[in-house]
Amino acid sequence: MKKVQVALSKVFSFSAAHRLHVPEKDQAFNQQIYDKCNNLNGHGHDYYLEISIKGPVNTKTGMIIPLTDFDQAVEKVIAPLDHRHLDHEIDYFKNHRSTGEEIVKYLWQELEKYLGKKLFRLKLWETNNNYFELERID
Amino acid sequence: MKKKITISKKFEFSASHRYWIDHWSAEKNNEVFGLCTSPYGHGHNYELHVTVSGPVDPQTGMIINLSTLKAIAGKIVEQFDHKFLNLDTPYFKDRVPTTENIALVLYELLDEQLKKEAGITLEKIRLYERGDLYVDVWPEDK
Repeated sequence: MKKVQVALSKVFSFSAAHRLHVPEKDQAFNQQIYDKCNNLNGHGHDYYLEISIKGPVNTKTGMIIPLTDFDQAVEKVIAPLDHRHLDHEIDYFKNHRSTGEEIVKYLWQELEKYLGKKLFRLKLWETNNNYFELERID
Repeated sequence: MKKKITISKKFEFSASHRYWIDHWSAEKNNEVFGLCTSPYGHGHNYELHVTVSGPVDPQTGMIINLSTLKAIAGKIVEQFDHKFLNLDTPYFKDRVPTTENIALVLYELLDEQLKKEAGITLEKIRLYERGDLYVDVWPEDK
């Protein structure tokens, strides 16, 4: 049989509040860069996260990673964010802006602790109209 | 600039399956496979996306005639539709019908048949078990 690559993708979701704001900069700067995302008291999204893992399919289980292990690892990373204010309650966002780019980088860093090199691609939907992707290319 | 053009067609089949390894204890099976060990199986509406590539024929304007693709892939998909995959197909006697394994079987069947009947390259397949879970299979050199 021809040699192939196999990737499995699963969609998860979490809901969180955030505010885009650079504390060192004045109100005019923040308003200009972030517009309504700079709203003083924050706002929120239902985030959808599509996680792809890639690797050899275990000949016994027929899986790249047993789905139960996969779900548990993802739960550990996502549960702390769910129904939270990212900037106030998650340490990473004390000194990173909670943009989609930064959230997807944070999620990669956390998920890689459990999934290692099998972590292949993340696609984070902030709304139905914008998404952020991070993919391993080495 | 180098470009690549592909065409994809979607197929659906409904099937049941069960995850179970005979020489494992019930505890071990339940730990690894969870709800999927349910003894009589359970089912899904699978959705298969078949993507092929190749030059566009200057006369027909097509990579492959969609009715040809439908006929070739449809015959393969038919073997899985309204079946209990573990018992009613020959492919899972010695492997668990996970989404990964079903996709691997479909890839192999499609790749061989598309080459034989239409001389066309299978670029990729995507198999959705549900809207929120899918597996992609593509050749290692791409």
